[in-house]
Amino acid sequence: MRNLTWVALILLPFCLGSGAFAQASSAKDQCYTCHAGLGDQLQKPADVYVKDVHSRVGLTCASCHGGDATSDDPEKAMSKQAGFIGVPKRSAIPTLCGKCHGNAEYMKTYDPNVRTDQLEKYRGSVHARENVRGDGNIAQCVTCHGVHDILPVNNLDSRVYPTNVIKVCSACHSDANFIKAYNPGLPVDQLEKYRTSVHGKRILSGDSKAASCASCHSSHDIRAANDPKSSVYVISIPQTCARCHSDAQYMRGYRIPTDQYSKFVKSVHGKALLEKHDTGAPSCNRCHGNHGAVPPGVKSISNVCGTCHSLNADLFASSPHKKAFDERKIPECDVCHGNHEVEPPTDDMLGVSQAATCTNCHKPDDQSKGYAVAAQMWALVDTLKRMDDSAKKVIADAENKGMEVSDARFALNDVRQALIESRTMVHSFDLMKFKLPASRGLELAAGSVKTGEDAIKNYYFRRTGLGILTLIISILALGLYMKIRKIEKKR
Amino acid sequence: MAGTIKKIHDWFDIRYRLDALKQFMAEKSVPVHRGSMWYYFGGVSLFLFIIQVATGILLLMYYKGSEDAAFESVQFVVAKVRFGWLIRSVHSWSANLMILAVFIHMFSVFFTKAYRRPRELTWITGFFLLVFSLTFGFSGYLLPWNTLSFFATKVGTDIPGVLPLVGQYFLELLRAGQDVTGATLSRFFGLHVALLPGIFVVVLALHLLFVQRQGISEPESWVTLPDSQKKRMPFFPNFVLRDLLLWLIVLNILAILAVFFPWELGQKADPFASAPAGIKPEWYFLFAFQTLKFIPAKVFSIDGELLGVLAFAVVGVLWLLVPFWDRRTPTGRRNRLINYVGIVAVLYVIVMTILGYLL
Repeated sequence: MRNLTWVALILLPFCLGSGAFAQASSAKDQCYTCHAGLGDQLQKPADVYVKDVHSRVGLTCASCHGGDATSDDPEKAMSKQAGFIGVPKRSAIPTLCGKCHGNAEYMKTYDPNVRTDQLEKYRGSVHARENVRGDGNIAQCVTCHGVHDILPVNNLDSRVYPTNVIKVCSACHSDANFIKAYNPGLPVDQLEKYRTSVHGKRILSGDSKAASCASCHSSHDIRAANDPKSSVYVISIPQTCARCHSDAQYMRGYRIPTDQYSKFVKSVHGKALLEKHDTGAPSCNRCHGNHGAVPPGVKSISNVCGTCHSLNADLFASSPHKKAFDERKIPECDVCHGNHEVEPPTDDMLGVSQAATCTNCHKPDDQSKGYAVAAQMWALVDTLKRMDDSAKKVIADAENKGMEVSDARFALNDVRQALIESRTMVHSFDLMKFKLPASRGLELAAGSVKTGEDAIKNYYFRRTGLGILTLIISILALGLYMKIRKIEKKR
Repeated sequence: MAGTIKKIHDWFDIRYRLDALKQFMAEKSVPVHRGSMWYYFGGVSLFLFIIQVATGILLLMYYKGSEDAAFESVQFVVAKVRFGWLIRSVHSWSANLMILAVFIHMFSVFFTKAYRRPRELTWITGFFLLVFSLTFGFSGYLLPWNTLSFFATKVGTDIPGVLPLVGQYFLELLRAGQDVTGATLSRFFGLHVALLPGIFVVVLALHLLFVQRQGISEPESWVTLPDSQKKRMPFFPNFVLRDLLLWLIVLNILAILAVFFPWELGQKADPFASAPAGIKPEWYFLFAFQTLKFIPAKVFSIDGELLGVLAFAVVGVLWLLVPFWDRRTPTGRRNRLINYVGIVAVLYVIVMTILGYLL
């Protein structure tokens, strides 16, 4: 008897793997027995159910459809008294599946590590929003997992296996007619773009580790990209990408760095997005694309950055650097500003000091005039900055003294604007173009300084004037007092 | 030189009989006693009014009374016009000092009971001059069209709106509409530079005429005093010169205030912005404002604010008619009640004003 038990235990996995066990359990299921011989549409579920994961663990048709699976009398087996519900309403399917899959106690009898939060997550998803309105066409459990041929997720043939899930999602999301009924603004080119992406190419070549739809959008709680709870909400994207890209173990074999996220969080973009929650700041997808994600090539970097920094990109494109960089295959913006670790640009990046990026290429003995231009540009920006600071101090001093200098205070905005324009104009790498805003700024700053200084002079003039006036009035008053004394003495 | 002056004098004398005027001035005298110093506050009020008129006319050369240009024109006066800052600052400080001087003058007249017969009309014209001075202050406060003045005017013009039957009509009359807008500014401008000065000058002329005609009031204690013990000072030149001396001191104070504490312009009013926290009226309205704040929303099912406004109206009328209900003083009997009423009024105004600033 003990030997038989051992044999049974050894054979059990083979039985499970081959489906023999499932067939055995189906054989006891009178629904299956009957439908297997009906032919046409009514036989199809029985044909595929033998491979279904539910069939393999002994669940019968009645587990979902209700009825009495032990009775061979169709009337009795499919009677309402026996709880037969027939084909469930599509909109009711999530609740039906959730009866078992949301019951942790029950599910643990099959697998102690199994998830039981699918229904709860689905209810928060964009799909469930339509489902609860009774729309049976919207994605729910069977849309993605299948009906009678559901396979474990890690089964290569499963519809939701990473290499297969793209077909499942695109069945709806690439169908413009279907999608426009729900969200006419939603693109339907995700699959097309995905095929061009690094992720897509790898998935299509059979690499199940590469990101597919569910890797980013999650599986059951798929939310609209503009939903702050979504894994693809602009602020959440860096962390979503980092789940794989910062995992050195997971990324081993791809030969790409895994420090992008740690660099990004320190960058000007990362701080704006993750600390200030500025949703206009770029996330990973703004530079790399989302469904068509690829690392930008050397030539396309200025186009990528230029989607936001358009003026800088235009100036660069018409600058002498464009041709020189293209010839030497130097990445454009990246070479001075970096990529993931883009820091707030400083004026020290310009010029010929050690901190300046210009000196990476331009040397003092440079034959071209680049070195001299860099030095002059820095000198002008630095002067403008100092003049701006001086003007601010003088104006603040005049204001503290109670002088009216609102015009000069307003002109300081123009100085600031000129400074910003000058810093932008650096990207033209043309000294003449650069001098236009810089000179205007210097002129405005000088005007503000003069106004402030005049106001301060006026402040002291007022006090001197007051002193003289007080003295005159006091002398007059004294004279008057003497006169009164004299008159009253006479009396 | 002396011959030329005599010739000019004679020229005028023939035409206008200057001798009669000289005779009047020579005979006019001012009582000298312990409370003589209070006589000077009428003159100080007059001096500050003259400064108001002079600086107001200068400001009028640049001021533009429209919603779009009012603030900018005052800014221009302060920043660009030569000595514009001084004129505006003097105008604002002088307005406040004038109201202070008028208040002191009024209470001194009240406590010395100078309103008694035959000077009832001098008191009544004086009361109206105080009301007009406050209206000058209220209307002038809005003219720079800055945030504080805009919202203070809004709060201030809301108050008459609580009056039954006529409240809404009166509010719209003040504001030239439902809300404080550019139309209110134009209305206040007209009131401040044309209507009020016209009325004020007429009432002031009457007030001065009464004072000159009846002479300066003597203290109550002089009724029983023999003439030999009544000390007097000639109005001209003694009192006039003393007046002038005080005016010079006031001018000095005004100059120091204008230079060391220039009147702020603030930010341009934005009718769509929310009211800044702690909006308060000018100090001379603060006691009334604070009183209205202290009155509960409902007092015996009557609207608290309405009750406050009506109470102030009743007190105002009683104050105006004091020469008529004070029956003891004109008959030479002492009326301590008047002193108590006056002390309570002064203390009330001071305490409420302080609370208005603190709370």
